Amino acid sequence: MEYHNKLPPEGINITRVHPLKQFLQFAIGALVLVVVLVVILQISGSFLAKRIPFSFETALVSEMENPFGDGDTHPEMTGYLNTLAQRLSAYMSLPEGMTVTVHYDSSDVFNAFATVGGNLFFYKGLLEVIPDENTLAMVMAHEIAHVLHRDPIAAMGGSVASSIALLALTGNSGTAGSLLSNAGVLTSVQFTRKMEVEADREALQALYASYGHVHGAAELFMLFSKSRAEAAQTDAGWLERFLSTHPLDQDRINNTEQIASDEGWPLAGKATPLPQDLRRWLDAE
Amino acid sequence: MSSTLFQVLGVVLLLVLGYLFGRVAEKRHYARIIRREVEMQHLPVVASRYPPIDREYSQRLVAGSVVIASDYFKTFLANLINIFGGRVTPFESMLDRARRESILRMKYDAIQLNAAYVFNVKFDTTRIATGKVAAMEVVAYGTALIPVETSASVVKGAMRAQ
Repeated sequence: MEYHNKLPPEGINITRVHPLKQFLQFAIGALVLVVVLVVILQISGSFLAKRIPFSFETALVSEMENPFGDGDTHPEMTGYLNTLAQRLSAYMSLPEGMTVTVHYDSSDVFNAFATVGGNLFFYKGLLEVIPDENTLAMVMAHEIAHVLHRDPIAAMGGSVASSIALLALTGNSGTAGSLLSNAGVLTSVQFTRKMEVEADREALQALYASYGHVHGAAELFMLFSKSRAEAAQTDAGWLERFLSTHPLDQDRINNTEQIASDEGWPLAGKATPLPQDLRRWLDAE
Repeated sequence: MSSTLFQVLGVVLLLVLGYLFGRVAEKRHYARIIRREVEMQHLPVVASRYPPIDREYSQRLVAGSVVIASDYFKTFLANLINIFGGRVTPFESMLDRARRESILRMKYDAIQLNAAYVFNVKFDTTRIATGKVAAMEVVAYGTALIPVETSASVVKGAMRAQ
């Protein structure tokens, strides 16, 4: 018997496809899949989370160990902020059982935010540069509007739902998986911008109801714009726009003016000064 | 946010490097494989368990094994394919190279023994990677049939050679 081998044929064990072409196909496919999934889960997650009773939020927060803010060391500041919050929420028709609590934090951060349980945070860094009460009221009303719209719990519900799903989808696929999760984060950031626009609208209404004009709104956004320009001069514009939760300042100013002119609310008016003692409260250790 | 940006840039850099180096390595390996396959074509490797009975052969176990690692690009692409399913094409060429290389190493072993054939050839493959990067071992083994010379002196010489 004769035994001999022919040379192995080339390519029968390999699928002839260019790896880069295949990479693009799958990467785009995976991105689309993730974006669609995240959007669906964000929407349904927030939709469901908004149906959680507010009292549950309050109970959740009360179980946390650490008390919020520096209320103990700055009782006057905390008192003033809460009085302002009570006055504004009277114009914002909060449902029964929903209250807001303002916390003051003496760290040098240029920010204020709302979180679950109707808790608002105001940082010293922001209060230091606020020129008048109207501007402060705009921030305050904006954050109260988030609480009123149940945005904190909705954002939480949406991101919990989508991150659990992403974990399940990409849990065992290494680096590709962790990148995809990041793409998911970007999409969720986009999603909450809608909430910001709604909160701006609600805040404007409260500002008008309280003062008879909406002076302070555009001023606030200009403050933000100034601080951002100082903080991050290197950031590329488009990237910042995409990554930012809040609509860009100029967009917000335009939006504010649009709403004010539609509703017939005067943009300018007499500014109410901040309490004279505010400076002293800020400097207190 | 900038840490995410750095993470993305790092992955992109690794992908580009993995792709370029992986491509070059694979191309060179295939060139080497094809050249040696021509050089060693005179030695038949046969899957059959039944050796020829035309004359007397001494038998020796010959084996060749190779470990080939995936590159970052291949692993990343395979992870993406893992989500959707389908042929894991980036690993196809890797396994093809490993099988052919292991056969060549086994043949080299057999040629050193002056074998006329390698019979009962089999493959074994193992995934040996830990962590994120895949690597695989392929071992080919078979029975080398070495013709036994009738003259006593030559037999002695052959035995010494073994």
